[in-house]
Amino acid sequence: MYIVRPSTIEDASGIESVIRDNHARISSLPRKREKLLERIEHSMTSFATKACLQGEEFFLFVMEESETGEIVGCSAISVNNDPQRPFYNYRQDELIHASETFDIHTTVPILYLTHELTGKTVLSSFAIQDKLLNTPYFDLMSRARLMFLRQFTQCFSSEVIVELQGVTNEEDESPFWDSLGRQFFNMDYVMAGYHVATKSRTMLAEMMPPHPIYVTMLTSQAQAVMGKTDERAKATHKLLEKEGFEASPYIDIFDGGPVLMAKTNETRTFQHSRFKQVKGGKVTTGPLHLVANKSFSDFRCLLAQITDGMGEVVRLDGSILTALNVRQDDEILYLHLTK
Amino acid sequence: MMIIRPIQSSDLDTLTAFSEVAGVGVTTLPKDPQLLAQHIFTSERSFRRSIPKDRAHYMFALEDTQQGRVVGMSEIQAAIGLEDVWYNYKVSKSVHASKEVDAHSTNETLYLNNDLSGVSEVCSLYLDPAYRHSNNGRLLAKSPFLFLKQFADYFHEKIIAEIQGVSNDDGESPFWESLGKKFFQMEFSDAYHQIAIGNKSFIAELMPKYPIYLFMLSQEARLSIGKTHAVTRPAIEVLKKEGFHYNGYIDIFDAGPVLEAFVENIRAVQDACSRRCEIIQQATPTVTHKSAMLVANRSMEQFRALLVAKEQVQTETIALSEEQASALYAEAGTDLWMIPLRY
Repeated sequence: MYIVRPSTIEDASGIESVIRDNHARISSLPRKREKLLERIEHSMTSFATKACLQGEEFFLFVMEESETGEIVGCSAISVNNDPQRPFYNYRQDELIHASETFDIHTTVPILYLTHELTGKTVLSSFAIQDKLLNTPYFDLMSRARLMFLRQFTQCFSSEVIVELQGVTNEEDESPFWDSLGRQFFNMDYVMAGYHVATKSRTMLAEMMPPHPIYVTMLTSQAQAVMGKTDERAKATHKLLEKEGFEASPYIDIFDGGPVLMAKTNETRTFQHSRFKQVKGGKVTTGPLHLVANKSFSDFRCLLAQITDGMGEVVRLDGSILTALNVRQDDEILYLHLTK
Repeated sequence: MMIIRPIQSSDLDTLTAFSEVAGVGVTTLPKDPQLLAQHIFTSERSFRRSIPKDRAHYMFALEDTQQGRVVGMSEIQAAIGLEDVWYNYKVSKSVHASKEVDAHSTNETLYLNNDLSGVSEVCSLYLDPAYRHSNNGRLLAKSPFLFLKQFADYFHEKIIAEIQGVSNDDGESPFWESLGKKFFQMEFSDAYHQIAIGNKSFIAELMPKYPIYLFMLSQEARLSIGKTHAVTRPAIEVLKKEGFHYNGYIDIFDAGPVLEAFVENIRAVQDACSRRCEIIQQATPTVTHKSAMLVANRSMEQFRALLVAKEQVQTETIALSEEQASALYAEAGTDLWMIPLRY
């Protein structure tokens, strides 16, 4: 059985292998063991204290195969409200250059550097084993976070954002980076990504050009990938779109990848999930549902079969109750997988 | 004899002809005869001091007195950018560095600015190709500096010259192709024409206002920054010898350099010597390449300048033939300014 739960120190090597083998690039989790352990500890503190909107919380979830103990995926939510670590994006905007005398009017696309998304809750660090790519567990790994969010909204902002990987080639070169960032950072895209994941924001303040950028002055290859998701992150993009996330004017400052946004309470998970009391038993039929317990520090989410009726109670298989760490008559949060 | 004198309204036809053959870069010479007539009229009033100082511009004609023909012109504007907006790019450096990641980068950056508003300008230098020999070019280019010497109060302490930038035989500028064209949607020559006829507001309307990083331009465009069109070489040589410098200001369309000098530091202004006019009856020596001395009177309305030979210059006086003296409106005892034509 696959169970999503908060990560612990013991998960470190499992997380490492998942992000190493992942189909898409994970820039929000460090590769170095020592740094990764710091992140996990950070997450454990966040889960333990239930401190809300203090600004620095980071919640890292893992998906574990309960029989073998193998870690098969991870995902995270970060509160991202630490003014010490401003969030950098470009906002795509337009100016109109018009001259009545010459009857010329040109729409001039422009990129403004912005910290506007600082303070918005961010979904990040999504990685999963390839074999689970086209399975319901892909949805579980991603949406478990929203099942958590749904229950503890006071800890998160009313809008959630996701940064998706921008377009790079097989050699990990980004046309957007090569046309813009590289000139200022004097390093290749991979190196810059490494620094951003591991270093302070001071580096960005020092190295990013502060002035607006005229899009027409970028290479055509760079212009073509602005706001585009890399092939490897398309499945995530699609899932998030289904969830209710929409394209925003914001893009990543490094690879030009899109930032998707949603009002937290308008996501499908928020709209369609329900609380009900649970009864244990033998359940072997019914459509798949996302099911989560109501615990903050010992949050659990998994897929289970439920035949939902009109009553105030749903019946779950006994093994599921155990896996969720809930007892008879406790409330659970559940959601039909296709909703 | 070749003399420099203020341009008059009767020179309009000649100037119209000049404006038609002068390159696209000479924007201070409008190609529209009506505008040109107005321009000449303002110049005449400037020489008569019947116009506010900072609105004045002074147009000088090079006349071949034997032929009775005007064969060249030059001009000084008292102040640029006061009635309209004067734009330049300044080539600056942006340095980004981070100790934490051991990175350092330097990027040249173009900043749009109006820094030169209010300064004076030498401009509209044009010489008939048939007269591009002997000392004519220098006479034309340097005489205004003796005017500046005498009337420094009428000008800004700083004076500039805009030098035509690089363009190919079809009149296309690599800088324009890589930058201006993307925002203006018109050809280089059209843009210049608009400026020449006084339409400048379109710059404010269409020009990118934010800084432009040089690496975003084509290589050809980058290489053309601060570079000059081959036809301007003689003029640049004169200006540089006078102490004009390129300080990173360039034209926003063709990236041609702006050369700058403080009036008091201009060599001709510093070196100009005062000599009293003495009139002699015997023939004056021929003015050669080496012996040429530039002499000017001190009148504004009847400003005149011409070349004499070094042999005519004494410690306190300058020996002029009657013809030369009368061309300078000088009598015996009149104080004149004098500098060597070449240093």
